[in-house]
Amino acid sequence: MSAAALYERPLRWLARWWESLAEHAGQLGLLVWATFSAAVRFRVSFREFVRQLQIMGMQSLPIVIVTAVLTGIVTSQQGGYQLTSTVPLYVVGSITVTSVVLELGPVLTAVVLVGRVGARITAELGTMVVSEQIDAYRSLGRDPLIILGAPRILAGLVVMPALAGLANLIGTISGMISAQMALDLGYETFLFGARLFWQSWDIFYSFMKAITFGFAIPVIAIHMGFRTRGGAEGVGRTTTDSVMFQLLTIFILDAMFPPLFLQ
Amino acid sequence: MTRPVTADPVIRYRNTHKAFKRPVLSGVDLGIYEGEMFALFGPSGTGKSVLLKTTIGLIVPDRGDVEVAGMSVYHGGRKVLESVREKVGYVFQHSALFDSMNVYRNVEMGLPAERLRRMQTSDVARAIWEALELVNLDPVEVMPILPAELSGGMKKRVGIARAIVGRPRILLWDEPTTGLDPVNTAAVERLIKGLAEELRVTSVLVTHDVEGALWMCGRVAMLEGGHIRFCGTPDEFQTEADPVVRAFVDRAAAEAALDVVEMT
Ligand SMILES: Nc1ncnc2c1ncn2[C@@H]1O[C@H](COP(=O)(O)OP(=O)(O)O)[C@@H](O)[C@H]1O
Ligand SMILES: [Mg+2]
Repeated sequence: MSAAALYERPLRWLARWWESLAEHAGQLGLLVWATFSAAVRFRVSFREFVRQLQIMGMQSLPIVIVTAVLTGIVTSQQGGYQLTSTVPLYVVGSITVTSVVLELGPVLTAVVLVGRVGARITAELGTMVVSEQIDAYRSLGRDPLIILGAPRILAGLVVMPALAGLANLIGTISGMISAQMALDLGYETFLFGARLFWQSWDIFYSFMKAITFGFAIPVIAIHMGFRTRGGAEGVGRTTTDSVMFQLLTIFILDAMFPPLFLQ
Repeated sequence: MTRPVTADPVIRYRNTHKAFKRPVLSGVDLGIYEGEMFALFGPSGTGKSVLLKTTIGLIVPDRGDVEVAGMSVYHGGRKVLESVREKVGYVFQHSALFDSMNVYRNVEMGLPAERLRRMQTSDVARAIWEALELVNLDPVEVMPILPAELSGGMKKRVGIARAIVGRPRILLWDEPTTGLDPVNTAAVERLIKGLAEELRVTSVLVTHDVEGALWMCGRVAMLEGGHIRFCGTPDEFQTEADPVVRAFVDRAAAEAALDVVEMT
């Protein structure tokens, strides 16, 4: 076997991989470009944007609340359990609030949104692809990226920070109540601990995470939806792929935040 | 309708190539003339829908070009593509109605966005009304209904109304009668013929109903193996010696006979 033949297969594989990466990047770029250029020219349907806000908000609100309540309870109790008698108990307040605001509020809310919103968007758009509705829009001179994509991305940018902010608040309150009940830690002491390590930068950091996730979820969901091929089975396959990519992206983006912003 | 020899074709496929995982179109050359009713046959999965979609840029060929009304679809830029899409109405195989919109909004989408912005609401409503009447639907009854509540035959008609409301010069039909019962099939075929005459459009009809197409169309073609295997009049088609065409005609005849047996 010649050396060329030996390298041919991996090289061809690499070329294909690179090509597919470039294709994805190109399509994602086009989607984001279409959204923002349409938004600044007021070409996005305001009615559809509001409708998406309602759907996303209503669908996720109950489960976001439940998740936030439980997160607060678990962090404050486990915080209390881990502390030895040498550490003052008010540190539970610091641990709970920082974990909720910096990490658990935005990340868990994003995970809920992937399940409730991201999966739905991919399945919905995928169904429209395989039933030729996307082709129909284009045949009628309409741009599906602007009509279907843009309102969902813009709504995600608004809904996610709002829900994450709410989750932060609820998580803090439920952590405080549960610390009082389980550890007999008074509200003042809890809040004293919370304030001790608090920086106003933290809330901005949390907000930045939420905005980033709120952008990534619909963008990936829409991108995958538009790429759906192959009937009902294709919709199912693409939807689970889409959920996986969204989760992976959220965790990777989340891991990039501390080195970028907490130096 | 016979072909006017002097005129240039209104649609011309020039060496059109398209491959997905395997080659689908491998150099299609075909001209369709103003005002004619043209049928395209071919076994399932040969790329009839792909060819139809290349006409208005829904699928972009890897090589070659398509010209519509003298304009190059793939070398003319965005404005040309927009203008081509305004001139061409496309009837999708499964109607492709927008699920979240009622019939009124669906048909309204058939009006080009620019024109729609400049139109009075009453003119829009009149255009939609007329389009629904042209496809033999009762506008009052169907306008507020969502597609999910319509029967297959009615969906098809709404899809046709959406394609014709903007008064295109060319209509592309992707298997308009596939999946319909015999009564609806006959009705839709009459509709296709009637609309072609009434609106004076050029029609390209992809169909499995060979018998119906031979009755309606002035010329027919067969796509096979990525090429136009045959193109000619219905009479020429039926007496064609090419064994591939013969086999297709015989199978179509057998299937038609089978349909009759199933019905009785
Ligand atoms: N968007 C697409 N992506 C990948 N393959 C496609 C696409 N559209 C069509 N094909 C493939 O091209 C071939 C021809 O399809 P089509 O034109 O729908 O056949 P038909 O002649 O039955 O209309 C099929 O093998 C189909 O799987
Ligand atoms: Mg087809």
